[in-house]
Amino acid sequence: MSAAYLLRRLAAILIVLLIVSLTVFSITQILPGNAAVMILGEYATPAQLQALELKLGLDQPWYVQYWRWFSGMLSGDWGVSMRLSQPVAALIGEAFWRSAALALASLATVTLIAIPLGILAALKRGTIVDLVIGLFAYIGTAVPEFVTATLLLVFLAGPDRGFLPAGGFAPLSEGVGAALSHVVLPAATLSLILTAHIARQVRSEMSDVLSSDYIRAARLKGLSERSVVLRHALRNAMAPAVAVISLDIGYLLGGILVVEEVFAWPGLGRLIIYALQNRDLPVIQAATLVLAFAYALSNLVSDIVIAWLDPRVRYA
Amino acid sequence: MTQLPITRRSALAGLAAATALPDLSFAQGAPKTGGTPKSGGTLKISHPTRVASLNVLQISGPAEYLAVDMLYSGLTRMGPDMRAQPDLALEWSADADAKSFVFKLKPNVTFHDGKPFTAEDVVATIKTIQDPKSASPARTVLSMIGDVAAVDPLTVKFTLTSSYADLPISLAHANARIVSAETLKGPLTALDTKANGTGPFKQESFDSARMLKLVKNPAYHQPGKPYLDAVEMHLFPDLAAETQNYLSGAVDAMLEVQQADFKRISTAPGSVGVRTPSGRFVNVVMRQDQKPFDDVRVRRAMAMAIDRPTLVDIILEGYGRPAGDNVISPGYRYLLETTAPKYDPAAAKKLLAEAGYPNGLKIPLICSNRPAIRSQVGIAIKEMAKPAGFDIDVQTMPHDTYLANVWMKGQFYIGYWGMQSTEDQAFTLLFTTDAAFADTAWNSKEFDALVAKGRATIDDAERRKIYAEAQALMVRDVPSVIPFFQDVLTANRSYVKNWGGHPLARYFFVENVWLDKA
Amino acid sequence: MRDLLRHPTGLAGAVLLALIAVMTILGPLIAPYDPQQFHPLSRLQGPSAAYWLGTDQFGRDIFSRILNGARSTILFGLGATMAGVAAGGAIGLIAGAIGGAVDSLIMRLLDGLLAVPDLLFTLLIVTVLGGGSGHAMLAVAIAFMPGLARIARSTVLSVRTREFVLAAQARGESPAYVIACEIMPNTIAPIIVEATIRVSFAIMLGATLGFLGLGAQPPSTEWGLMIAEARQYMFRNPICVAAPGVAIALAALGFNLLGDALRDLTDPRGRR
Repeated sequence: MSAAYLLRRLAAILIVLLIVSLTVFSITQILPGNAAVMILGEYATPAQLQALELKLGLDQPWYVQYWRWFSGMLSGDWGVSMRLSQPVAALIGEAFWRSAALALASLATVTLIAIPLGILAALKRGTIVDLVIGLFAYIGTAVPEFVTATLLLVFLAGPDRGFLPAGGFAPLSEGVGAALSHVVLPAATLSLILTAHIARQVRSEMSDVLSSDYIRAARLKGLSERSVVLRHALRNAMAPAVAVISLDIGYLLGGILVVEEVFAWPGLGRLIIYALQNRDLPVIQAATLVLAFAYALSNLVSDIVIAWLDPRVRYA
Repeated sequence: MTQLPITRRSALAGLAAATALPDLSFAQGAPKTGGTPKSGGTLKISHPTRVASLNVLQISGPAEYLAVDMLYSGLTRMGPDMRAQPDLALEWSADADAKSFVFKLKPNVTFHDGKPFTAEDVVATIKTIQDPKSASPARTVLSMIGDVAAVDPLTVKFTLTSSYADLPISLAHANARIVSAETLKGPLTALDTKANGTGPFKQESFDSARMLKLVKNPAYHQPGKPYLDAVEMHLFPDLAAETQNYLSGAVDAMLEVQQADFKRISTAPGSVGVRTPSGRFVNVVMRQDQKPFDDVRVRRAMAMAIDRPTLVDIILEGYGRPAGDNVISPGYRYLLETTAPKYDPAAAKKLLAEAGYPNGLKIPLICSNRPAIRSQVGIAIKEMAKPAGFDIDVQTMPHDTYLANVWMKGQFYIGYWGMQSTEDQAFTLLFTTDAAFADTAWNSKEFDALVAKGRATIDDAERRKIYAEAQALMVRDVPSVIPFFQDVLTANRSYVKNWGGHPLARYFFVENVWLDKA
Repeated sequence: MRDLLRHPTGLAGAVLLALIAVMTILGPLIAPYDPQQFHPLSRLQGPSAAYWLGTDQFGRDIFSRILNGARSTILFGLGATMAGVAAGGAIGLIAGAIGGAVDSLIMRLLDGLLAVPDLLFTLLIVTVLGGGSGHAMLAVAIAFMPGLARIARSTVLSVRTREFVLAAQARGESPAYVIACEIMPNTIAPIIVEATIRVSFAIMLGATLGFLGLGAQPPSTEWGLMIAEARQYMFRNPICVAAPGVAIALAALGFNLLGDALRDLTDPRGRR
């Protein structure tokens, strides 16, 4: 992996962001209604509306609004939320780290559970263990997040079994225990689908590797099964697993929208849904861009990890 | 100037406050539970809608009303009995034709930043509200104020452009709380995130996505109050999560309870449901400037095609009262008791035929998806009106699309409104020709004249007569179908005393709340 | 087909989908009640002889609603996916077949769109269009398009240099003929596999949009919306939520299983 390659990838990310920004901006231009209507709600008078439109600069043509926004983004001034009257950068900054914490917790869970499950299923191929894991994997990918979330709410956060909080967020300053207990349910919801999906992928990768000539040769050499699996098969199956995980990050970032809404997690997903419902254009634009950036960056990171895991992969 | 009782009730309230000094608590709010209040503790309240802004002059969300009611005080405040109580005002008086009002202010009141509260702050606030740029919902309600001036630091004089007996009630408007003159000199956007009021609680921290935390204002203008050390407002956008959270004991009170959950929550151990009859209503808007609703027979047929008691049972779970298309509910001062149209699909069908629709009427009914009650009413009406020959196609759409495309323009849709403080406010909200939201296009000269006359009438009996005529007109012409009034439902843990219970859901008297914990 | 039924995963998927297909086609005919009819005296009841899966908050028969909802739910998944396949396939085919600057321009654009998570992209579009089942379907199709275009393009690229294509070009066939008659038929299999699996995603996305209030709207019997509407009542009658939840899971499972089996059977490596 060369520096030139990295630079090229970063440049590609910038182009992606430009495309996303244009797409999102044009989408937001044709939204029915505008922020002024949404802010004042049903109970506004026309005079109130006009006053607010003027204040928000909504009377300007779209290219003026885009240029204002675009040059602002570059200079670090992301504008002010129309609905929340706070700087967009500050709003998103805070929400971003909360979402990142949730996403990382889910990813860690997924990695720790899905990969061993997949390997186990591959090793015990055709047995009852494989069947059970396979069944879980299929059912897990067939249940939407909001259903999983509802089930977890009912069964793990009810008054009778209330050992986990039914949503909300506690910063680390309120204690590690409180912070962790609030992460459990949303992270579990996000993890379920991904665990199911990734375990399935890892199983099939691992099965491929286990039946490859290379492993057969290792077995013939008389190496112990343990060493065959850990030293040779695992390492070869890891790279594709990371590739699958990195693709699933897009899914994870989407899932955040629903899970944060149900569990009152004050992150980027909730901010976006709120901004969409309220036509808060600066927030929609910036938040979408941030999510796209995070996704593109995570893909780059995973490519680097893959290269590191699998010496055969070379990026020039 | 003569000392004139504005209305018997508001004057009583004003006098009570004046004579009961220094113990103001007697007249303010309505202590509902016995026992000696204990000081201390933090009250945690959950709510499903965001506190997006703290700008007291502009806000209109259910949770925002609670926040500003704790942070700010107005000259007056609406009590749970629907009378204007003195808040920052000590007492008031008016001249004989209710065109000039003098308000005496409480002395030694300070804003949260320590600066004294004076008549200048009142003048600055009212003038800001009257400026269209502030986009304040209180502006129409205070439009009759021609001039406001500080007579001395503790006296304010209002000169009205026309007689208006209910000024003390208008001044109690949730968006007419007093902001300091100094704050108003700066950019108004500062009000969105920082509150400097004279209310019982001060802003401690504000994270709109998560929690608003308030702490006791030790210099509050009612001595000995508030009892609580702090209040936390926690946002839970998902109703199922909010309910589970409350029932597991993580918060002490819920701002709003859904009808579907109320019984479960009221009967849960350690939990109390608070049910307050209110004039909050859903209405079926039928625009009269187009066919088919230009014909009163079609509107009446619609009114007869709705089974109101059943609607109360299945949609409100019984937590409400059937209504008869009269916007005035029990709880207002001048209610005219009228009987709701009986559910009679056969008669409705006949009326529809007379109006020229012998084969029934096919029509789309638009419902916003927020709150869910709108589409629930739509779906129920569709089924109920079927035997009467109405073939209603219920079209539910996201709230933002509804606001942009249907609201104030559509011909047949579902509205949802809160209870108002006075008859005048209720009439001029939707039904007069110059109403703020005249979406029924009723344009009845007769009705307009009655409302104008009632507004300027001071004599109580005379006013009652005028408003009775106006209500009878509504029932006769059916400008919109108002099928029921919905109760306000809240809940709290049983150790929380004095929480909730206001029909307007805009005033909360949290300074009276205390925790009965060991 | 015979191979598919011999494949255990494929068999399970086919059986499930056959069941779903029967519901989709015959559902409204065999439903015991009108799915919109109120029974105010039998609200929120558990299963009984009269109401096999109980009733919802209006006393509507849940079994009849599930049967009716199959049509809107499944057609949503199929419709969104097919529209996405048509648009994405066409774009990928053109990009892959033409190559050069057009190809890289299209690919850059697709990369940009792919960087926005599916659900967010769908939400953005559906907010613009204004919600409702038809708009949600279109939004899902648009969100699916870039991914499907990429798959189509990479298949085209792998086919483009195969002998039969080169032979056709050598024969002097027009580019349109080469694309339509030589390249396209050979790219169909991987796209069908991908599409089958995407149907289950489309169904779940549609349900999620319904949950967020932007998909199907009341009084539709779409399963996701049924869950969203019934969540308020789930403590009084859990079946209100459970029945449509199980229905969605079974449908998604069916398409997943079938898609996996198809992949096994068409992928020369046997598994991926």
